[in-house]
Amino acid sequence: MEEISEEIDIKVKKYLRGEGANLEVLQDKKLKGQLAVREELYGKSAKAAAKAEKWLMPSEGGYLEAEGIEKTWRIRQEAISREVDISSSRNQFDITLPDLGPYTMDFTSSGRYMTFGGRKGHLGIVDMKNMDLIKEIQVRETVRDVVFLHNELFFAAAQKNYPYIYNRDGTELHCLKEHGAVLRLQFLKNHFLLASINKSGQLHYQDVTMGQMVGNHRTGLGRTDVMRVNPFNGVVALGHSLGTVSMWKPTSSAPLLKVLCHRGPISALAFHPNGHLMATAGKEKKIKIWDLRKLDYELQNIPGHANTLDFSQKGLLACGTRSSVQILGDLSGAQNYSRYMNHSMVKGYQIGKVVFRPYEDVLAIGHSMGWSSILIPGSGEPNFDSWVANPFETSKQRREKEVRSLLDKLPPETIMLDPTKIGTVRPAKKKEKPTKQEREAEMEAAIEDAKDIDFKRKTKGRNKPSKRVKKMQETVAKAKRPFLEQNMEEEELLARKKQKTSEVVELPVSLQRFAKKKTLT
Amino acid sequence: MAETKRKSRDNPNGKKSKKQKTLATQRDNKRKRRGPRLPSKFRKELDRLNPSGAGRSPSGSDAEERIDSDEGEVYAGNDVYEYEEGVTEEESKKNRRFDQVENLEYEMPEDFEDENVSSDDENEDDNAGEDSSGEEEHGDGRHSRMLQEITGMPGEAFEGKKKKNNNVITEAYPESEYNPSRDVLDGHGQISIEDLLDPLHGTSGYSMLRKRVHQMERKSGPTPTPLPKVERKRLDRKAAYQHSNKDALKWVPLIKRNREAGTIIFDNDVDLGFSTVGAIASEFEPRTEFEKKMASLVYDEKVMDAHKKDGARLLELNEVSVEDERDRQNRIAKMRSLLFRHEMKAKHIKKIKSKTFHRLLKKDRLKAASSENQIDPEAAKELARKHEFERAKERITLRHKSGSKWAKRIKERGLKAQDEGTRAAIAEQQHQHSLLTRKMNSMNDTSSSEESSDGDESDGYSSGEQDRTSRLLEEAKEKTLKVINEEDEVPNSGLLSLPFMVRGMKKRDEAAAEEAKLALEDFESLSKQLDGSSRGENTKVGPSSGRMVFNAAGTQAQKSSKTKSDDRTKADRFYDDSDGENDIEAEDNNDDEDICFHKHEVSFFSPCGSQSFDDIAKDPGPKTTDEVAIFASGAWKKVKAENNRVKGGNNNADKKKSPVALESVSKNEDLQVFHSFTYLLISGTLVKETEKDLGEDSDSDSEGQMVDGILSSGPKASYELPSQAELIHQAFAADNVEDDFEKHKQEILNEENPEPEKPVLLPGWGQWTHVQQKKGLPSWMVKEHDTAKKKREEALKKRKDAQLKHVIISEKLDKRAEKLYTKTLPFPYTSKEVFEQSIRMPIGPEFNPATAVGALNRPEVMKKPGQIIKPIEFEEVDPHKKTEQLKHVGQKQKQKQKQKPKQKQKKNKIVVWRRGCSGRVSVRRVGGNGWSALGLVGRHLGWSVGVREDRSAFWGRSVGVGVEMVGRHWGWSVGVREGRVRVLEGQSAFGMVSRCS
Repeated sequence: MEEISEEIDIKVKKYLRGEGANLEVLQDKKLKGQLAVREELYGKSAKAAAKAEKWLMPSEGGYLEAEGIEKTWRIRQEAISREVDISSSRNQFDITLPDLGPYTMDFTSSGRYMTFGGRKGHLGIVDMKNMDLIKEIQVRETVRDVVFLHNELFFAAAQKNYPYIYNRDGTELHCLKEHGAVLRLQFLKNHFLLASINKSGQLHYQDVTMGQMVGNHRTGLGRTDVMRVNPFNGVVALGHSLGTVSMWKPTSSAPLLKVLCHRGPISALAFHPNGHLMATAGKEKKIKIWDLRKLDYELQNIPGHANTLDFSQKGLLACGTRSSVQILGDLSGAQNYSRYMNHSMVKGYQIGKVVFRPYEDVLAIGHSMGWSSILIPGSGEPNFDSWVANPFETSKQRREKEVRSLLDKLPPETIMLDPTKIGTVRPAKKKEKPTKQEREAEMEAAIEDAKDIDFKRKTKGRNKPSKRVKKMQETVAKAKRPFLEQNMEEEELLARKKQKTSEVVELPVSLQRFAKKKTLT
Repeated sequence: MAETKRKSRDNPNGKKSKKQKTLATQRDNKRKRRGPRLPSKFRKELDRLNPSGAGRSPSGSDAEERIDSDEGEVYAGNDVYEYEEGVTEEESKKNRRFDQVENLEYEMPEDFEDENVSSDDENEDDNAGEDSSGEEEHGDGRHSRMLQEITGMPGEAFEGKKKKNNNVITEAYPESEYNPSRDVLDGHGQISIEDLLDPLHGTSGYSMLRKRVHQMERKSGPTPTPLPKVERKRLDRKAAYQHSNKDALKWVPLIKRNREAGTIIFDNDVDLGFSTVGAIASEFEPRTEFEKKMASLVYDEKVMDAHKKDGARLLELNEVSVEDERDRQNRIAKMRSLLFRHEMKAKHIKKIKSKTFHRLLKKDRLKAASSENQIDPEAAKELARKHEFERAKERITLRHKSGSKWAKRIKERGLKAQDEGTRAAIAEQQHQHSLLTRKMNSMNDTSSSEESSDGDESDGYSSGEQDRTSRLLEEAKEKTLKVINEEDEVPNSGLLSLPFMVRGMKKRDEAAAEEAKLALEDFESLSKQLDGSSRGENTKVGPSSGRMVFNAAGTQAQKSSKTKSDDRTKADRFYDDSDGENDIEAEDNNDDEDICFHKHEVSFFSPCGSQSFDDIAKDPGPKTTDEVAIFASGAWKKVKAENNRVKGGNNNADKKKSPVALESVSKNEDLQVFHSFTYLLISGTLVKETEKDLGEDSDSDSEGQMVDGILSSGPKASYELPSQAELIHQAFAADNVEDDFEKHKQEILNEENPEPEKPVLLPGWGQWTHVQQKKGLPSWMVKEHDTAKKKREEALKKRKDAQLKHVIISEKLDKRAEKLYTKTLPFPYTSKEVFEQSIRMPIGPEFNPATAVGALNRPEVMKKPGQIIKPIEFEEVDPHKKTEQLKHVGQKQKQKQKQKPKQKQKKNKIVVWRRGCSGRVSVRRVGGNGWSALGLVGRHLGWSVGVREDRSAFWGRSVGVGVEMVGRHWGWSVGVREGRVRVLEGQSAFGMVSRCS
């Protein structure tokens, strides 16, 4: 009993989403009471949710556990396949497609469908549940990346000159010419945005519902094919050749964040599903793990090289190099990633991409000779939420979900580093200059005030109307003066600036030809 | 007042006092009586001695005294006698008051008496006597003692007697309570309460009375004077406030609760009664005969018992007679047959489709067929055959040629006489006829049509006069050939089959043939001339290996495959796999073909060699040269090999098709087979080209691989050469990335907070004197610069990335995102933290269990439109109790009481769980007696669970999301009761055994 209550307590804490406010500070008794009631409700809700979770999500993920001198990374796939049930062992396979080059792949959010793209134009969709090849097409063009859109009906492929959107039947629906020759594609599920980075280092965001181009930024950091979306906040991260990782959002042309992660070029990048951990791999043979909330130094620095990285739903990190895959796991729970599993493929296979399959303990590896799938115990989330992603979705459910997700679509400006800040009080602007209207209004008010002043009735002779008027005028002028002075100052500043710029531009006629030459060189 | 007093003293006779005289005046009189008016000097002296009295005494001004007396508030501070009498100062005030009041009433008659006596002296004496009452009393005491001693009677009797005697004479009125006797008034011979009580001694209630009297005596001190009015009022108000405060305070908890409540619900306390069907049913009481009968059957004790124990007994009770069963079966059989018939009928009716339906169906079918024949050659062929058949049929029957009765009749009557519909119908029929009888050129595969289409195609390609002439020539050639061919056919019966006729015809034929040959030769030479000139031109047109060849081969190939489609890939596939087999076939074929083949081979190497009839007919002359050229170049083998490899993957798939293709090929002449080879050659080159294109198309960094992949057919190289771009990418990665980053950061910082300009004076200003240099810059400039610098540093320090060396966090505000924040702190909140904490929890249905969502999202006030909101009613609220969420305003108390008996009913209701935690939960109420099912759709399978009223659970597999119940007695599983999770012991569908509460 106690155990259960403890368990539930932990879950309740999770569902409470942080501490309640300290109500003792409040002066307002009514508010205090109301907030107390609210908090109580939250508590009830969290408790109910925790209990529901307890009984409705009975499956628990497990990990490989070694006994004695056994090491988890010594356990081979064959050994695993002997132990697991038939349906799981069906997930171990190699598909050899030697002709059409290194393969890349992507899963739908439910993990039911996979789309693959061969370098040499081989595209297709596979139903992973019954290993059914739904459609396969040959586009006779280089394919650099494939990505599913919001459901399995559509997928985008980055081809030689442009990205294209295909539907499940392999029909080309759109050619996104504005994107150019795209190297990597990513889809932001909650915002319905297709993000792409092209050869000239331009980052494009396109809304796939309306077709509108939401953002188009020059990164100015050179060509890169390292791009990942942070699933927590929708921020797109790019890895650059100078070892920096930059993070972008569609509504601002400057990167939100730039971090110098490696001394060499960045070769791969991945985000933990909770959005706080980031793993980067550099060409200088280092894999680093970062906490995005505390970027002053990396959490961990692991020696090793990775062409491709991916985090599983449960937080395992897969690193693929040449023909071997290493899985790192945070087994202690203290954000200390250590070796968990190893898998090496046939010598000579070049691993191009590793992707964990959602809701399954499966890692898909795309390589130069096709693709493979191996079992990684404890990688997938054991309980799925059918309102989030349902692997057993019927077409009707899919349709309904599509409508719902479209209704819930987030506008692009909601992408920010900390989306939990939405709805809070706007952070104060740095130095908010009053606008012209405001200043004018202020001046008006000051003048009004000055006019309202009643003057003393002076003795005879000094109380002449003319004198009174004069006095009034004086006070008004006095009230006005500071504002006018401020205006003058600003104008002067502006003029000075203008002068500076004009100085540069306007040279004497006789000298202009020199200037021209100078600009040319 | 004083004067009036004096007056009244002066002529007391005139002032026949009435009994109704106010107390005040009586008191005045008494005072007047009591104290002689002292000279003001004495008074002042007294005032000095007795300041408390003086403060209140209106010693100075008569007016004030008058006011006092008017109010009836008389103070005896000025009453000198009292003071002299030696009454304690503190008591004096109160004491006198109440005593006076009492005394006055009694003294009134004394006054009266005095007046009656009307002697000033006596009055004075009386006054004096009264004034020195102590002495007098003393004297009286002695006298009475003496009398007592003498007579042995109690002193009181004497006193009273003495007084009475005194009064007897002057008493004008009979003694009564309104006219008390003098000694009563004087206080002598008072009748005490004891006296009154004594006679009651022994009666019931005496002791109680006595007790009360004792109590009164004990308490009875002097009654204090009333407080001043202001104070009294204040006290009154205070008491009233306390009272009303207490009254109001009882509302506080109620109001507090309402204020703090998240939601206030105004509702009529409509008692809906039972909420479940089962509950309603359980309350049912049989009333009518029939109902009672039913009840007696249903609630038969035996049956109930059997239900409770096990089903076996039920069976015994359930005996049915044979006849009944038979009847039932018959009835059911009848119903079934009826149902079946009805079903059949319905099916039949359902099958009947409307005319339009059929028309549309036909249309669809046609459409589908036409689209199909465009794709599939087989289908096309089939279609052509069908068309041919239909055409023949039409031509035989002439069904649509207005030969019908209807059409004839219309014709007779004249078309003009008909209405539009009929005319249209006729036109339609004619159209149909023309359609059906039209010759199907495109689908025909006779040699003549082939030739003509060949010509057509060459038409398409050629242009200009030359082409026209060549076409003419060809046409002529064809015609002559036709003539020759046709004449070859000899009728073998009739007149013409007679031997002489045959001979004659042969001769004539031979002549004609010779003529034709000559003509052909002429044509040939002419066409060659033309070709010679045209080839020069044509070479320019196509960059590929000889256009004529391509055209000819292409067209031939297409003819042979009998498809109109010009799909290149299809064509080359076809030839790809057929080529090997064709080689063999060609060798295996009969002599004629062999010869033909040789002929062609000859023709390869001698382009201007002898021209066989076939050669001439098919006009292969010009292509052969090109083919030879290709052979000579040696590209043949390579191309072929490549083709084999490249298409190797497709071979298998295509093999299925190949038999069909082979058939068609074998039908053709060897020549065509050869053409297929030539086409293969070309297609081979084409394929190579396309592949090269692909190679070029692929972007630069993968070019190496691509070429590699095509050329080397072995396994992939293990080492992947880094592409050019990658190499550059790596080579130029700078070593000092950190410095670069820092520089970059500085730049960005400067951009966002620009550095202040260094203060400079105008150039040359003050420089020659060196004063400037000595003094330095003017202080204000330096100051300005410093402040600007400080400001910048502060701004930089405030940045989020100030402490992070390798991080740049953009400080730019996103204007579009600004609307997502609240501009100001919303009203009741005063601190930002509290506000932000209060909104941390999402309240939507996606994030909260269904049980909580309602409560979280309820509006502040819930009321139905038209609802009358009654004033708040008092209700006991425990102020320390935690407030609930819901506050029903109204007769809640009553409702509660009402509901009490139903609580048991409510307990067993299943509360709907949250939707979408991991599956779906739905609740369905099933039976009439409170059965409920709770469905959970798990990860792999669904199961449903229910809780009965008696807490027993049941389970069943659910289908999809809905809930379906299977059994009720076996298995157990999870249930929810009153929102609390409760696992009931047992086994679920998954073998989960758990027990807990």
